[in-house]
Amino acid sequence: MGKYLVWLFLVAPLHTLYAQDSLHKAVTDTVPRGTPKNLKQVTVSAGAFEASDKAKGASLTPMDAVTVAGSNGDLSLALRALPGVQQIGETEGLFVRGGTSDETKQFIDGTLFKYPNYPSVPGIPQPARINPFLFKGILFSSGGYSALYGQAMSSALILESVDLPEKSSARFYLFPSNQGAGLQHLALNNRSSFGLGLNYSNQTLYNALVPHVPDYFQGPSYVDANANFRIKTGRSGMLKVYAVWNKSTLGMYNPDVDSAALRSGYQGKGNNVYTNISYRTALGENWKMETGLAYSNNHDKRELSLVDAEGKPASLPEVPLTLKQNTSDIRSDFAQARMVFTHFLSNDQAVRFGAEHFYAKDAGLYRDSVVTQTDQLSAVFAESDIYLTGSLAAKVGVRAEHTSLLQKWSLAPRVSLAWRLSEESQLNFAYGLFYQEPSNEFLYHNRDLSLSGAAHYVVNYTRKAHNRFFRVETYYKQYHDLVRWLPADAKTVSTGDGYAKGIELFYRDKKTFKNLDYWVTYTYLDTKRDYLNYPMPLQPGFAAPHTMTIAIKKFFPDLSSGVNLSYSLAAGRPYYDIRFANGWQLFDQGTTKPYSVVNLHISHLMTLFPRWKHKDFSGFAVGVNNLLGTKQVFGYNYSYDGRNKMAVTLPAGRTFFAGFFMSLGIDRTDDFINNNL
Amino acid sequence: MKKTFLSLLLLLSFSAFVRAQSLQEAVHKLDNAASVKDYEALEKNFVALAGQQPQSWLPWYYAAFCNAKIGFLYQEDGDKIEPYSIKGEEQISRAQSLLDSTKQQQQLSEVLMVMGMVYRTKVFINPMSYGRKYGMLSDKSLQQALQLSPENPRALYLRAWVKYYTPKMWGGDKQLAKELAQKSVALLAKEKAGENPHWGKAEDDALLSKFK
Repeated sequence: MGKYLVWLFLVAPLHTLYAQDSLHKAVTDTVPRGTPKNLKQVTVSAGAFEASDKAKGASLTPMDAVTVAGSNGDLSLALRALPGVQQIGETEGLFVRGGTSDETKQFIDGTLFKYPNYPSVPGIPQPARINPFLFKGILFSSGGYSALYGQAMSSALILESVDLPEKSSARFYLFPSNQGAGLQHLALNNRSSFGLGLNYSNQTLYNALVPHVPDYFQGPSYVDANANFRIKTGRSGMLKVYAVWNKSTLGMYNPDVDSAALRSGYQGKGNNVYTNISYRTALGENWKMETGLAYSNNHDKRELSLVDAEGKPASLPEVPLTLKQNTSDIRSDFAQARMVFTHFLSNDQAVRFGAEHFYAKDAGLYRDSVVTQTDQLSAVFAESDIYLTGSLAAKVGVRAEHTSLLQKWSLAPRVSLAWRLSEESQLNFAYGLFYQEPSNEFLYHNRDLSLSGAAHYVVNYTRKAHNRFFRVETYYKQYHDLVRWLPADAKTVSTGDGYAKGIELFYRDKKTFKNLDYWVTYTYLDTKRDYLNYPMPLQPGFAAPHTMTIAIKKFFPDLSSGVNLSYSLAAGRPYYDIRFANGWQLFDQGTTKPYSVVNLHISHLMTLFPRWKHKDFSGFAVGVNNLLGTKQVFGYNYSYDGRNKMAVTLPAGRTFFAGFFMSLGIDRTDDFINNNL
Repeated sequence: MKKTFLSLLLLLSFSAFVRAQSLQEAVHKLDNAASVKDYEALEKNFVALAGQQPQSWLPWYYAAFCNAKIGFLYQEDGDKIEPYSIKGEEQISRAQSLLDSTKQQQQLSEVLMVMGMVYRTKVFINPMSYGRKYGMLSDKSLQQALQLSPENPRALYLRAWVKYYTPKMWGGDKQLAKELAQKSVALLAKEKAGENPHWGKAEDDALLSKFK
């Protein structure tokens, strides 16, 4: 698990600011397009936050995005510090602009990363399966994204993995409940590299020391092993292979909402293999080809149980047994092949087109019933970058998809425009249609559904100057064909709908205070949905109307120490007791108290063995999440009869960690200088 | 014939004189430049001079230096720096290509030093994203400059600047920065104003003033 890797990798960027000891190697894109002729050219950017290794001024770098305090090494948690994302404390994932986490998809080098987190556990966010430092480019689109991607109604997180590392290195970290080690080896000719990593996390000891609500009878434990190989081929080719295997185990008892005497048990086991192979190359002067293959095999087993005080199976006569006691055991195979061609035209204009195919097969038990399904989803897409004038640019695209499971076609146009107002400011517009298949829990039982869809309209203004970055974005989003449960026998139909609209502010300032970088965001969200069992259009339980976040990073060069602080404040979220009695009815509703959380991380960096030829970069890190111990309420679970409700809250008031890490770089500066003089 | 030859010779030497004077004039103006505007105007001047004196490394050297200075002045405004860095990088490479690396070691040291400055300006664009690559390149150029000419006062100044602004953990050393800047000042006192590089006093003084 990559939970505390943040600290380990934090060493790297700080160290690179001054980079005294490393070996230079051009890590440029292997398909260089030269320097843009007009450096002040407008670039299309509505709806997206880009964190790139080419970020200028106060634009975000991947490191900026990932090192927000409280991110626990999970990119999607880190991105919650950006506007448009809800603060959801009880589960993982990105809830963007009135959308569920299922409406945000992650893509690595073009291909879908289907299982970014360990299997979901009720009430407790699960860690990310992949190290966020694998990426040199993070494009987080909260609306209106490119036609090159699909099957995400709200948001796309488009990730670009690093090419070759700067140098060979080895590293390890030791935290009481997390340990890990890794190495990266760069070949002498600087044309290929390989890496290996192993991470293990077991929370048993920690949970024994710090009081928790859930009574864990197993784990939680997480282990992952990963490997990568990257090689430059020919003059402009780059082949990258990444593979990761991971496994998680967790078993816990919680107080049962229906009976004070009983406890509900949850046991989850996850096993996942993910491989991604990508290849890109220039084809002649004006063409570029990018291909990707992804495969993942996922085994997800969940058992719900109801036990008495002694741990023996129990039942409640008034509650249907299957609600309290059931097993899901699903094996999924997922494969994707993708190919994109880019044709470069004059004046930095370009045309891109390509196709992709997704194969997904699920088989096993879902809540005790046998399910099996296979889906073949194909897509073709085309997109063009057009410069209308030096200060007006457009990206126009279209995407067509067909799914064999639903026997449905979809056609999704996407347009964005950028208008440069001055050297420092820009106005952007985006529009697009976005479709996705209903989630498996519905499809397992009913294939007579439509694709759900959303239309996005986005207007955005940005101003970047003097190492400050201001952005305001407003949008309107219309949902259609959402899944709804019909009252009679809870059969699903695609007749739900909804909307979301809002305004979002972002301001970052790296200039005013020396060695201090901070940003502030505000998100206003007005959303209602009429879907699932909602008897009328309602504001969904995951949507808070107001959210504010602050991320602060302060580095003390003379002390070699850094302090990261983050603060999030969100208005209360609605909760409902909806039950079936002559149709779906709203029996009770309310709003939770506001959510307010402060996370603090402190790190101290040092060199333990300055005399070593390859001197080390080491450090200590300590951190507290929910520093003030604020009691958080994310919502309420109602008992079957609606007489009792139980708050969904944090498993423990505060979360602590402390640990040590060390990174050893293999330094070849001398060789390099001697060889090049 | 003889007359024509003579007048041609005269014309040549005269135009050479005119060029030299205007390069010298521009360099003299450079000694008093302080703002981004000053350096932008002078950069254009040097580029024009480079067109007139295609075999001389100096106009390109000074044009690149102007761009590097603008980058240093815009240090706190990462969004603006890149066009200057790119121009500077191209110009200093041109200057380098006009030098004979076996014979003109002193000159090459000057060129490499400005290259180190240009790469430093790339770091300013955004240290997180550009620091790794260009910090290293900058250090490498500076090291080479000092290897070729250990007493180059401008290279000593840049080394002092780097030592001053780098945290201790990564090899920064404020005391050493002070000594280097003082040494640079002492060496600069021996240099003559002319068209050859002789700048550095103001930069050293600015750095040394931080110790008061």
